[in-house]
Amino acid sequence: MSYETAFRLNRRTFLGGAVSGLALMAAGPAFAQGKTLQVLSHRVHQTSLGEGDADMLAAWKAENNADVMFTTLDSNPLMDRLFREASLAQTDFSVGYMVDNRPTSENATLFEDLRAYQDADPIEDFDDIAPGLVQGMTIDGRLIGIPVRTATQGLFYNEELLADAGFDGPAKTLEELVEQCVAISAKGRATGMILASDLAVFPVMFARAFGGDYISQDFTLLPDPAAMEKALTVLADMFSRGALPRSYATNKGEELLTWMQQGRAAYSVLPFARMGQLADPALTEYAGKIKVTAFPGSETLAADTAMSSVVEAWAMTIPANAVDKELAWSYIKEVSSRKNTLGMALNGNGPARVSTFLDPELTSKNDFAHIESEVLANARGAFPPFGEAARAQQLFLEEVQLTVLGRKSPADAVAAIQSRIQPLLPA
Amino acid sequence: MKTSSLWRMMPLLAPTQLLLISVIVIPSIYVVWLSFHASTYGQAATFVGIENYIRVLGDPGFHSALWNTVVLVVVAVHLELLIALGMALLFNSGLWGRRFLLVAVLAPYAVSEVVAVAMWRFLFDQGVGPITVLLNALGLPALEWSYEPSHAMIMIAVLTIWMHLPFTFVILYAARLALPSDLYEAARIDGATRLQSFRRVTMPLLGPAILVALLFRYIFAFRMFSEVWLLTGGGPARTTEVVAVYLYQEAFTYSAFGPASATAWIMVAVSMLLASGYILLLRRQVKNAA
Repeated sequence: MSYETAFRLNRRTFLGGAVSGLALMAAGPAFAQGKTLQVLSHRVHQTSLGEGDADMLAAWKAENNADVMFTTLDSNPLMDRLFREASLAQTDFSVGYMVDNRPTSENATLFEDLRAYQDADPIEDFDDIAPGLVQGMTIDGRLIGIPVRTATQGLFYNEELLADAGFDGPAKTLEELVEQCVAISAKGRATGMILASDLAVFPVMFARAFGGDYISQDFTLLPDPAAMEKALTVLADMFSRGALPRSYATNKGEELLTWMQQGRAAYSVLPFARMGQLADPALTEYAGKIKVTAFPGSETLAADTAMSSVVEAWAMTIPANAVDKELAWSYIKEVSSRKNTLGMALNGNGPARVSTFLDPELTSKNDFAHIESEVLANARGAFPPFGEAARAQQLFLEEVQLTVLGRKSPADAVAAIQSRIQPLLPA
Repeated sequence: MKTSSLWRMMPLLAPTQLLLISVIVIPSIYVVWLSFHASTYGQAATFVGIENYIRVLGDPGFHSALWNTVVLVVVAVHLELLIALGMALLFNSGLWGRRFLLVAVLAPYAVSEVVAVAMWRFLFDQGVGPITVLLNALGLPALEWSYEPSHAMIMIAVLTIWMHLPFTFVILYAARLALPSDLYEAARIDGATRLQSFRRVTMPLLGPAILVALLFRYIFAFRMFSEVWLLTGGGPARTTEVVAVYLYQEAFTYSAFGPASATAWIMVAVSMLLASGYILLLRRQVKNAA
C-alpha cells in the first residue's frame, strides 16, 4: 500500500472523523463540569458577577461541580424570552432575571414560589434585602423573585461643559436645570440635556419634580394631572428652546450613555450604576469630569415633599418548568449573599441590600454611593406592574412625544392620557 | 398520472411535503386558531370569536400603520423599479467599468440590515451625521427624520430602495441580457428610434420580468420591519409605524397573541389584495405563453 493510499480522505474516513470529533466536543464539557446551570439574563447581570480570574462564583462552581452558562439579551427581548421559556412544557433555563414592572397575576403563576425555598434553605440575612423590592416581587402572596439589582435614576452632568457655560455646579431646582440646559445649548458646544423618548422614566421624573406621578402604586392614573401638565410644559419648552436635541423623538435609552461619553450633552438621566462607564478613561475623554447627583425637584414642590426618583429593580426567578430547581436556588442564594452583593456593587451593580451602601469598602471606592443611597430611600418604580402596563406605557409615550414636539398642547395630552389609559388599568 | 405511479412517488415527495406542512401549514393554522382567542403568558387561551379582528380593524393605530405601509410600498416599490430599470438599461448599453459597478450596485444586498440601518442613522444623524453636516455646509436644509414625520417617511423609503434595489436590478438586468439583439437590429432597419425600440421592443419583452419583480417586491415590502424598527422605531409619536411593527408590538411588547395573530392574517389579506392586479396580469401572460 502506498503512502498516498493509506492517508486518502474518503467518505468513510471523513464521516468517521466528523462523528468522532462531534462526540469528543459533546463529551468535552462533561469532563470539565458535572452540571451546567443555564441562566437567562441581561449582560449587565453577568458582568457584575465578574469574569475570568475575578469570577465571584468560582468557589460555588467548584463546590457544586457546576458551570453557569449565561444567555444574555436586552431588557424587552429578555422578558419576552423568559415568559416564553416559562410557558413551555420544560425549559433548560433554571434561573431567569425579571424586571419588577413585568410580573402580573397571570404570568407570576409561571414561576416558583421562592418562599418555600427560603424557609427550607434561607438566604443569608434575608431581611437586609430592601423590603420594598421584596414586596414588588411578591404577587398574590407568592414570592416569585429575589431582588438582586437596583437601577436608581440620577442626574448625570459634565462639569467641563457646565463650567464652559459659566455654571459652577449642577442645578439645585428643576427651573435652574432648564435654564442651565438652555444656556449650554445656546453656547453651541453641546446640547443641554439628552433624554430618551422610548421610556416612561423621563416624563415620570419631571412629573414627580412637581409632586405628580404617572400611575401611583394603588393604580390611580395621574394622581395630580396639573403636575403632569406642568412637566409636559417644561419638556416642550426645553425642546422648543433647543435644550433637548432635535432627535429627541428617536433617541433610545442606550444612546444616552454614548452622548454623555462623547460630550455631546451636558446633562442626562441615567441609573447610578452607569457611572462606571462614564468614569472610564478608555471609554470617554471626560472621565472624572462627569458626576452624578439627585434629580432636583421644582421650586414649587412643597418643602415637606421629597423628590421621588425612579428605581427599577431586577430579581432572580426560577421558572416552574425549570430542569434543575435545587441548583437554581443554590445559585440564587450564592449571588444574594452579603459578600457577593458587595462584590457586584464594586463592579457597578446597584445593590438590593440596604447595608451594602454603607459598607466602607464601597464608600471608599465609590464617591456617589451615599448619594445613591439617599435617592434610593425615596425612590419608587416608574409605574406598578399590571397586565396592560406595556401598552399603557406606549400610549403615554405617544402623548408625551406629541407634546414635546409641539404637536399637542400639554392640557390636551393630559386629557388624552386619561381617556386612553384609564380603560387599561386593573378594575 | 396513474394512481399506482402516484403512490410509488409518495415516499419520494413525502419529506418535502412534511417539511412544508410542519413549518408553514401547521403554524399558519395555529395562527388562525390563535386569532380567534384571547391569549397571553400564564393565561389559558379563551375563545373570543372575531373580537380580535374587530379590535385591530377599529384601532386608529392600525389604520395609521396600514396607511403608512401602503404609502411606503407603493412609492418605494415603483421608484425602485424605475431606478432598477434605468440601471439595467444603462449597464446593458456597455457602461465603462461595468464589473466594478455591478459589485457596487449589488453590495447593499450583502450588507446586514442592522448594519445598513445603523450606518444610515449615523450618516443622517441630525447633529453630527456627515450628510447632515455636508447639507448644512452647502446651505441646504437637512433631513429632519426624527422630528418631521414626512422626512422620516422619505428616509425610510430611500433606505428601503437602497437595500432592495439589487434584487429588482438583477431580475431586470438578467431579463434584458436575455433579449435577442436581432430584434433591435430589425427595429433599427425598420427605422425605429431608440425611444421607439424601448417602447415597442424592450418594454413588452421585459413585461413578465417586471411583473415578477413587482410582485415579489410588493410582498416583501409589505412585510417591511427592520428599516422602520431600527431607524425610527415607528416614531416620532408612532407616525411612521408600519403594520409589521404594529404586529411586533402586539405580540412581543404587549404579549397580546390574539390581536397579533389577527393582524398577521389581515396583513396577508391586504398584501394579496394589493398584489392581486399583478397576479392577474401574470396569470394572463402565463396563459398566453402556453
